[in-house]
Amino acid sequence: MREYVIETSNLSKSYSKKLVVDSIDMHVEKGKIYGLLGKNGAGKTTTMCMLLDLVHPSGGEILLFGKDPQKHSKEVYSNIGSIIETPGFYENLTAYENLKIISKLRGNYNPLTIKSVLEMVNLDHEKTKEFKEFSLGMKQRLGIAAAIMHNPELLILDEPINGLDPIGIKEIRDLLKKLSCEYGVTILISSHILSEIENIADVIGFMDEGVLIEELTRNELHSKLNKYVEFEVSDIDLAIELLNKTGLKENNDYCFRKSIANYIEDVESVEQEGGQNEGHIGGTIHLLSNLDLRDQFNTLFVSSGINVRKVNLCEENLEDFFTRIISNT
Amino acid sequence: MLTFIEMEFLKLKRSKIFLLSLLMAALPSVLMFIATFAFDETQSFTMLFSTVNMYMSALFAILLFSIIIAYLFGREYNEHTLKTMLTVPISRGKFLASKYIMFLIWILILTVVTSVTTLAFGFIAGLTGFTVQLFINSLAELLFSNILLFLTFSPFVFLSLFITNMVPAMVGGASLTLVNLLVEGQTWAPYVPWTCPYLISSGEIADYSVGLMTPYIMIMATFLVGIVISYVYFTKKDVPL
Repeated sequence: MREYVIETSNLSKSYSKKLVVDSIDMHVEKGKIYGLLGKNGAGKTTTMCMLLDLVHPSGGEILLFGKDPQKHSKEVYSNIGSIIETPGFYENLTAYENLKIISKLRGNYNPLTIKSVLEMVNLDHEKTKEFKEFSLGMKQRLGIAAAIMHNPELLILDEPINGLDPIGIKEIRDLLKKLSCEYGVTILISSHILSEIENIADVIGFMDEGVLIEELTRNELHSKLNKYVEFEVSDIDLAIELLNKTGLKENNDYCFRKSIANYIEDVESVEQEGGQNEGHIGGTIHLLSNLDLRDQFNTLFVSSGINVRKVNLCEENLEDFFTRIISNT
Repeated sequence: MLTFIEMEFLKLKRSKIFLLSLLMAALPSVLMFIATFAFDETQSFTMLFSTVNMYMSALFAILLFSIIIAYLFGREYNEHTLKTMLTVPISRGKFLASKYIMFLIWILILTVVTSVTTLAFGFIAGLTGFTVQLFINSLAELLFSNILLFLTFSPFVFLSLFITNMVPAMVGGASLTLVNLLVEGQTWAPYVPWTCPYLISSGEIADYSVGLMTPYIMIMATFLVGIVISYVYFTKKDVPL
């Protein structure tokens, strides 16, 4: 039986009659990284704030570690680390002093722990710098340090890579993967950067306009991503004619894009070779069905005098999938 | 709760407003020191202490305390640290209580600063009539007045939570200072909660035709109303990001 660290049922939030989170049923399995994906304003942050008791739900239920967080507040929330949007810290204090306040209030203050966690996020050399002088990336890294300092079993991270440089993003991604794989930490992470979620998450929840449209594991996602074969051909009109003759239908079985650039290249290359260009326009065909017959289509094109520059078996990326499921709702 | 208060002190490290408040607490005695030479205002320690205490508790403290309370309670909103603190997790009630206790400690420090600077400037001005008993009585009077005033500031907690920048609290403080000036000597002065502390501590309440309980009731009622609305509002309100 699956053990869920976060479970919500019909979780909703409205502000003056405007529904910003609409009856969400979310399931985050223990030890997994759950990526919450959605556009800005999709309701990701509000959902996370409700989980953290920062925002009161208008309806529905939340279970954290299988318990009602309202009844077991201290027990539940002391096991959670979080970042919500840009981390907030006291501006006149250093990184160490800020972490000291948090750990003292948690009742687990240990100077060595603070030093080691600051080392982990590369802030250990900023001993005297006050928080107000931190860059956005440094603020974000301090937020991550505060979130993981007490070895929580659950991390709720809202856009944690905002403001980080590419190296910082990789470091945080590796750290989160390590926390999940080696220490069994469950992570709920939100982002509007699709590639980041794709890189890190075991399960992805797709949110739009307050609705959790779909929850998919990585395997389920890959099985749902549309696959197609991409042909790059020298004569797009002839290729389409051949496909139509085999009974394939435009938009259902294939789609195409003409390429003027290819046409110009063709003209130049034929002219350089002293030949005469026949006015063919090249392009790209995406074969959406009958993918198993791609070798036969290739043979057909070649035998009809069409140069096939490229044949690729491709998979729809997360961005396209996300756009597709949003447009379907 | 001690840890909460200890952390409130840590939050004030390198804070300019704390130093500024110390300077402001010394301001009535500085002004009276200047007045001693410029206008021949005071000649004795008795008069100096009583004048400084009056200016402080009836007028200046109200503005000063409103600034402090707005800073203490609005800070987590303005620096966006409330979401960090409340997810520690800490109880919202304890969070409010620790801040209100910190406000009291801050007031006690300022009271000592006012009295000690008054004493120092009195000696510098060469005033006569100093006795240790006089100083202790004056300090006790200011302390008592400021503690009563502290109780009347609970509605300012709500104001600071409701509108999280310092301006409304400062406007409120300035307005109440004017109210105190207006009601001075009026029959209904004992019904104004922010006037009562000075009237009680200075003994001037005896000049009014009301029982001693009336100003105490006004102070306690203000305190309770302020605490209740602040607590209800803070615990029910979503945390702004």
